[in-house]
Amino acid sequence: MDSRDTILKKLKANKPEFIALPKINPAVFDENIDKVKEFIRKTEVAGGKVFEVTDNKEVLSKTQEAFPETKVNFSNLDDSGFFNTIDSESFKNPHELNDLDVLVLESTLGVAENGAVWLTDNDIPVRVIPFITKHLVLVLPKENIVPYMHQAYSAINPMDLDYGIFISGPSKTADIEQSLVIGAQGAMSLTVFLK
Amino acid sequence: MSHSKLAGIFNKDEKKVDWHDKALWFVRHKRDLSVHQVKGWEELRNLGHGIKAHTLSHLDVYLEQFEANALKNGVQVHWAANGDEHNQIVHSILKADNAKKVVKSKSMLTEECHLNPFLEANDIEVIDTDLGERIVQLAKEKPSHIVLPAIHKNKLEVDELFQEHLGTEPCDGDPQYLTGEARKHLREKFIHADAAITGVNFAIAENGGFVVCTNEGNADMGAHLAPIHIACMGVEKIIPKQEHLGVFLRLLARSATGQPITTYSSHFRKPGKGVKMHIVIVDNGRSKQLSRPDFRASLHCIRCGACMNTCPIYRRSGGHSYDATIPGPIGSILSPGKDLTKYSTLPFASTLCGSCSDVCPVKIDIHTQLYKWRQIIGKETPQPFIKKKSMAAMGKIFSKPSLYGKVGAVARWALRTLPKSLINAWPNIWGKTRDLPVGPKKSFDQWYKERENNKKTDQK
Amino acid sequence: MKVGLFIPCYINQLYPQVGKATLELLEKLKVEVVYPSGQTCCGQPMANSGFENESEGACINFVNNFKDFDYIVTPSGSCAYHVKKHYNIIQQTDDVIKVRKNVYELCDFILNVLKIKNLGASFPYKVGVHKSCHGLRGLRLGSSSELVIEPYSYIEELLKEVEGIELMPLDRSDECCGFGGTFAVTEDVVSAKMGKDKIQDHLRNGVEVITATDVSCLMHLEGLITRNKQPLQVRHIAEILNSTI
Ligand code: SF4
Repeated sequence: MDSRDTILKKLKANKPEFIALPKINPAVFDENIDKVKEFIRKTEVAGGKVFEVTDNKEVLSKTQEAFPETKVNFSNLDDSGFFNTIDSESFKNPHELNDLDVLVLESTLGVAENGAVWLTDNDIPVRVIPFITKHLVLVLPKENIVPYMHQAYSAINPMDLDYGIFISGPSKTADIEQSLVIGAQGAMSLTVFLK
Repeated sequence: MSHSKLAGIFNKDEKKVDWHDKALWFVRHKRDLSVHQVKGWEELRNLGHGIKAHTLSHLDVYLEQFEANALKNGVQVHWAANGDEHNQIVHSILKADNAKKVVKSKSMLTEECHLNPFLEANDIEVIDTDLGERIVQLAKEKPSHIVLPAIHKNKLEVDELFQEHLGTEPCDGDPQYLTGEARKHLREKFIHADAAITGVNFAIAENGGFVVCTNEGNADMGAHLAPIHIACMGVEKIIPKQEHLGVFLRLLARSATGQPITTYSSHFRKPGKGVKMHIVIVDNGRSKQLSRPDFRASLHCIRCGACMNTCPIYRRSGGHSYDATIPGPIGSILSPGKDLTKYSTLPFASTLCGSCSDVCPVKIDIHTQLYKWRQIIGKETPQPFIKKKSMAAMGKIFSKPSLYGKVGAVARWALRTLPKSLINAWPNIWGKTRDLPVGPKKSFDQWYKERENNKKTDQK
Repeated sequence: MKVGLFIPCYINQLYPQVGKATLELLEKLKVEVVYPSGQTCCGQPMANSGFENESEGACINFVNNFKDFDYIVTPSGSCAYHVKKHYNIIQQTDDVIKVRKNVYELCDFILNVLKIKNLGASFPYKVGVHKSCHGLRGLRLGSSSELVIEPYSYIEELLKEVEGIELMPLDRSDECCGFGGTFAVTEDVVSAKMGKDKIQDHLRNGVEVITATDVSCLMHLEGLITRNKQPLQVRHIAEILNSTI
């Protein structure tokens, strides 16, 4: 018998009698929070910046203002031609994206309780890009902010997901004497534009 | 070596103990602040416990479901009965594509299986990419904490290590500079890696996907750049449905560091373009632990590390004093299941204060399990003759009131009459650091009897 | 109401004044208290050392001594907890079940059975409460700091009524003192360090007297205090509640 069958057989023999699966009732956790306010608060605590804007045009102009000197920029928003210094050709070899300075992506889901922003393969040209970029800029419609993780997962179809990620704040570590340092292996800064 | 001996060594440097204690207590404090903001926190813990208990009672079914879905997603699934087999499997995957350079993100399972030395012996470079793990790896040590692997090292030690291995400038332990240098060093490694290994925080039966949580982004950097992604998981990492992540992701980071969620929570399901994805499912003693009714709940653990941060012993003895892959309270209930004799002192490295059980996000009854391991160790492992005899003697004395009275009187007399120097110098470990109480003239017993007699005389 | 008084072995032998205070206090509250003469120890020292089976004699002796009382009251959270939680190793006769159900730690009994808060005590000192772990997380005499529940503390509720007392908050409200039974000896280094740190917390916060529901914790702390000549005293909570200075 190979290991697969041995393991499964042992688990079957050793498991306890069936225990029912508890139901999650999200109402128990509901505090009627102001979703936008809470989202902003939590993103800031996680080391990110949040700005409220009216449209994507403002996103790009504000981004340029914030990062005036950068050489390599890419935005996934419509009409980003003037902003982009590279095109989708560059994504064929992601290893060469190491000098990407600013990346702008659009998200469809955010979570108030922890400032997490959801991205899937649909929102990202290549998977490594939100990590390899120096600065990450995310755009999120306010009405797409849900209060808790429970509602977030109700909005995600598990069968229709190839890869997805919640990002809350910039990459960070406290592994040297517990001092918090922003910018470990992933993006060194995170800016969220709420529109 | 026993836990107490290793703890003794750690305690030679009291300043370091104080630092370690305070640093971890601060993490516990941040956890408190964070969880007190969550309405229904205790209900969330109940759910975490309940979902895990249910899953264990249906584990084989969920694993098969997970496997079938993962295969459908284009992921290869492997099964390993033990650490050796796990290492062989990982090696054979690497060998098939002639992969020589591997980047690894945090995975306690690969630590448990001793994967690194195995691969290194086969001429494969393995780089731990979590900063704390990299520090420990450069120092040729083991993680001393499951979430904060280098918590036992101070910044000057890191400074020196980096100068030696990464060629950094002396910087008086500046964390900002050192982290920046590590970033550069690891970027190189990510870009040139032939394969990435990650752990798994949660594997979802219903869709064959799995979730990896990091703060640094190292798991994703590795997994998306390298052409091979191997994810290694213990059988107990499975959860039935994606919606259950809503419970566990809310519990995990808050319990671990006080963050409401880790910076990155990556949901892997189908391989990216040009990437081969493998999952290795490992037993290595877990099915055995599942067979023990008193101890199976230890498999609920989501590796948040909160029980370590809260443990007053762990904080003052250091992770290495447990001499096990998983230290601290949870380690002390897992390790005896693997080697009862080797780890026989761990369940005694506790005052049974119960803080671990109250802090645990999935409500493992850790201190009760420690007590139960003690009973098994008392019966099944060789015990010092003196301990055995004295326990039996105590048992006798306490079951016979008449004997008990006599023994007590002698002890009290000794405490009262003998000089302090003599009492404290007895083969009496208590007296090394503490005085004994002054023995009173009368026991409560005697006082009470006299009082009753006096009452009777009064009445006459 | 007939109450059996259980005085743990180390109180009986080493801290008889705590037993006296407990008895006097209960008598003051007009409780009919009997101290059964055949009692010894609840069996905890053996059980916590991994020799539960050697403690069976002690358990049976305990039940025999106390089976005829409505309540069993003891000035030790740890012993009450042991009887409640670990007396599952002997046969669960009606007597055993009754004893396990009716055993109470002193403060718990006064507050929740007698339903009395003000005991007419006075104790003009700055007091730090050491929340002994078995009472706190075993008997739930208060809310432990880990849990997200309404905070409460039976001990403090009673102490707040004591005249002249000033309760001093600690930096770490319920960290273990490091006694832990045989732990104090098998892990003496860590045990002593825990005690030392606990004492520092009390000193830092201006405490003059440390109190607790368990003498075992206090014996450990007092041993360190005396050895290191620190300006602190220890008093069992029964002594404070029975005090009229
Ligand atoms: S036992 Fe509980 S507290 Fe400890 S690491 Fe596991 S989940 Fe966290």
